[in-house]
Amino acid sequence: MERQDVIRAVAARAGDALIVANLGSNAYDLHTHGHRPGNLYMRGAMGLTGSVGLGLAMARPDRRVIVLDGDGSLLMNLGQLATAAAEAPANLVHIVLVNGLWQETGGQRIATAGRADLAAIARGAGIAEVAEAADLDALSRVLDRALAAPGPWLVAVRIQERGASQAPNTDPMANRDEFMRAAEGFVAVAPQYERA
Amino acid sequence: MPWADDVVAGFRSQQVRLVVYVADKVLVPVLDRIAADPGQFRLVPLTREEEGIGVLAGAFFGGMRGALLMQSSGFGNTLNGLASLAIPYQVGFPMLISVRGALGETNKAQVPMGRAMPELLASLGLPRYDLDRPETVESVTRGATRQAFTTGRPVALLLSSLLTGGKGGGF
Repeated sequence: MERQDVIRAVAARAGDALIVANLGSNAYDLHTHGHRPGNLYMRGAMGLTGSVGLGLAMARPDRRVIVLDGDGSLLMNLGQLATAAAEAPANLVHIVLVNGLWQETGGQRIATAGRADLAAIARGAGIAEVAEAADLDALSRVLDRALAAPGPWLVAVRIQERGASQAPNTDPMANRDEFMRAAEGFVAVAPQYERA
Repeated sequence: MPWADDVVAGFRSQQVRLVVYVADKVLVPVLDRIAADPGQFRLVPLTREEEGIGVLAGAFFGGMRGALLMQSSGFGNTLNGLASLAIPYQVGFPMLISVRGALGETNKAQVPMGRAMPELLASLGLPRYDLDRPETVESVTRGATRQAFTTGRPVALLLSSLLTGGKGGGF
C-alpha cells in the first residue's frame, strides 16, 4: 500500500470532515488527490499536526476531524497522545502513515523502521481506539469504523514509498481562510460574534 | 490575589474558552480561578508548551478562542510552533508568561531564557505587554487579548515578579 492509496481512501470517505495534513508528502498528496476547502495543509510546525487536530476537535465536537500525520512527526511530539487520551474528543481520527523514514529529506531511516511501535505507544498513552492496517482491505474496514464510531482513534497505516510527491506551493493564509470558512471558525477573529 | 482576578476577568471579557498550560507556581492563583469556572473555561494541561501552539491553532480555526499559560523557560519550547504555524497562519491568542530569571530569582538555570525572551519576542515581531502594576492588569490583559484575536497574532503578557512576588511569594 502506498501513500496515495491511503490519501485517496480517506478523501473518498471524508464527507464534511475537517482534515489536517502533516507538512510534506501528506499535505502534497492530499492537495493533489483530494483538494477541498475543508483541508488544512501544514507547511511547518513538525510534530504539531495532531495537536492542531485535537484543538479543532475540541472546538467543533459536531464535526469529524481527521489528522493525516507522519511517523517522524508523531515521534517528535509523543506527548500529544497522552493529552488527546486525557481530553478524549470522540470525533478525532488521528491517522499516522508509517514509512519508517524521514521522506522529505532523502529517506533516512527512523525508529519506526526498527522497534518503535506507534500503535503500542498510543495504547500505552490511553487512546481509546487504536487500530492498524497494512493493506487496502484492512484500511477500508478500519476507516469505515473510525469515521462512524466514537474515538478518539489512532490508526497506524504501514506504507511503502513509491517516489516523490508533487509539491504544490500552497499559501498558508489563502489556505487558512478557505479552511476557516469550511470550519465556520471566523467567530474566533471577530469579537462581535460568538458561537452560541 | 487581586491581580489573578484581574487576569481572569480580562480573558473572560474577550470570550476566552480554552486555557492550555504548563504549570508554574506563580500561575497557581490564575489556574485555580480558571479551574473554578468550568462553565466558561476548559483547562487543559500540556506535556510541553509547543503542543499548546498546535492545540490553540486548531481551536482558533474552529472558532474557539484560547490562551496559553507558561513560565519563561517554557517559552523557549514554543519557538518553532510560533514561527512556522501561529505567525504564517495568523493564529491569535494571548500567552500569559510568568517571568523567571529576573528580580529575586535564585535559580541560575532560569536566567538565560528569562533574559532572552523579550528579544526573542521582538525578533519574531510579536507584541509584548508587561503586567507589573496592579491598577492596569485587567485593562492590559483585556486589550492584549482583544488585539491577539482581532489581528490574528500571538501576544505576550509578561507577569512580573514585581506584581506577583515571584516564586517564593515575595523577595
